[in-house]
Amino acid sequence: MHSFFTRINNVSALLSSCTMALLAAITIASLLQEAIFPPQINGQISMKPVKVFNAKTPRQRRKQEMGFLNFNMTADLTPLFTWNTKQLFLSLEAEYENAQGVNNSIVLWDRIVRRPEDARVNVVGAKNKYAFKEIGGKGFSKGAAGTASYALKYNLMPYVGMLRYGEAARLSDVSFDVREEL
Amino acid sequence: MFTEELKAFRRLGFRHVLLQVLNFASVIASGLMIWKGLGLITNTESPIVVVLSGSMEPAFYRGDLLFLTNPPHERYHTGDITVYKIPGADIPIVHRVMETHDVSSPVKISGLDLKVPGEQLILTKGDNNHIDDIELYQGLDWLERKHIVGKVRGFLPYVGYVTIAMNDFPQLKYALLGILGLLALIQRE
Repeated sequence: MHSFFTRINNVSALLSSCTMALLAAITIASLLQEAIFPPQINGQISMKPVKVFNAKTPRQRRKQEMGFLNFNMTADLTPLFTWNTKQLFLSLEAEYENAQGVNNSIVLWDRIVRRPEDARVNVVGAKNKYAFKEIGGKGFSKGAAGTASYALKYNLMPYVGMLRYGEAARLSDVSFDVREEL
Repeated sequence: MFTEELKAFRRLGFRHVLLQVLNFASVIASGLMIWKGLGLITNTESPIVVVLSGSMEPAFYRGDLLFLTNPPHERYHTGDITVYKIPGADIPIVHRVMETHDVSSPVKISGLDLKVPGEQLILTKGDNNHIDDIELYQGLDWLERKHIVGKVRGFLPYVGYVTIAMNDFPQLKYALLGILGLLALIQRE
């Protein structure tokens, strides 16, 4: 009854059940907090028509039409930083439907926010981090529909629990300004 | 050293040994049933995976445990963290979706078969990498739905480090299995 093995057995069983119960309690508490006090996020994006001209990334062989953004963005994301928030992943995405009926969603800029002090996003004159190419191969002028929407989305990663997604700002009907090569 | 246990075995008889083996087997069988049942509910072949590389830091470190689901008719969105496997490579890769292209009417994309409505083309990238995953795709230009094992829903930190340690130090795995087997056989309760 009081042998070494049974003591270890009982202690480790208690330890693992308590740890699992604690993790489950943290997850449920976070879910309830989000349901009862949903965070209100407001943000603004502004940009001029997206410039499109022939360019090439270092990994490509031929030039093709690519879009170049120049945008300003502000958002206050501090309500998202709770006791269970490890980091926020922000991404600016372009959404548009091209003439072939393909719905495209492309992440053009992203940022990782790890501290609540950095949660006030204020970006001026930023450019896209990733190449903005049209999948159809016909380019923006002949392949894409007239306008695209740009949305700032966030992904909240907790210390323990479920991942959460949301949208902080949206700008619709931004057109493409196709230029000849310089 | 084992004379006491051997005497106990001879006293209890061969039937007792069989009962112990049966106990052992039923524990293993119920564990397997729970694992496979979880896989059926979440519609993915491995509902719980361990993060193997540091390409998603600082979100996920090596040894974190991830819970996946793979709803059959739900489309994947940009920003989702997915686990995918390239045919020809056996390791699952945990990266975030950067681009999705959803087909709404049949269209021919260069290099692929005709795409019908409901299909998606996906491009991924690890948070800690500077460039997207094209080089990891082994010749493919896009990922499709069939390559994706599941989408990450929740996670537990550090819990999976045991499996990484066992992979890196196989002696640890054998030692652990040996000790468990020995304990199962010599315990009488």
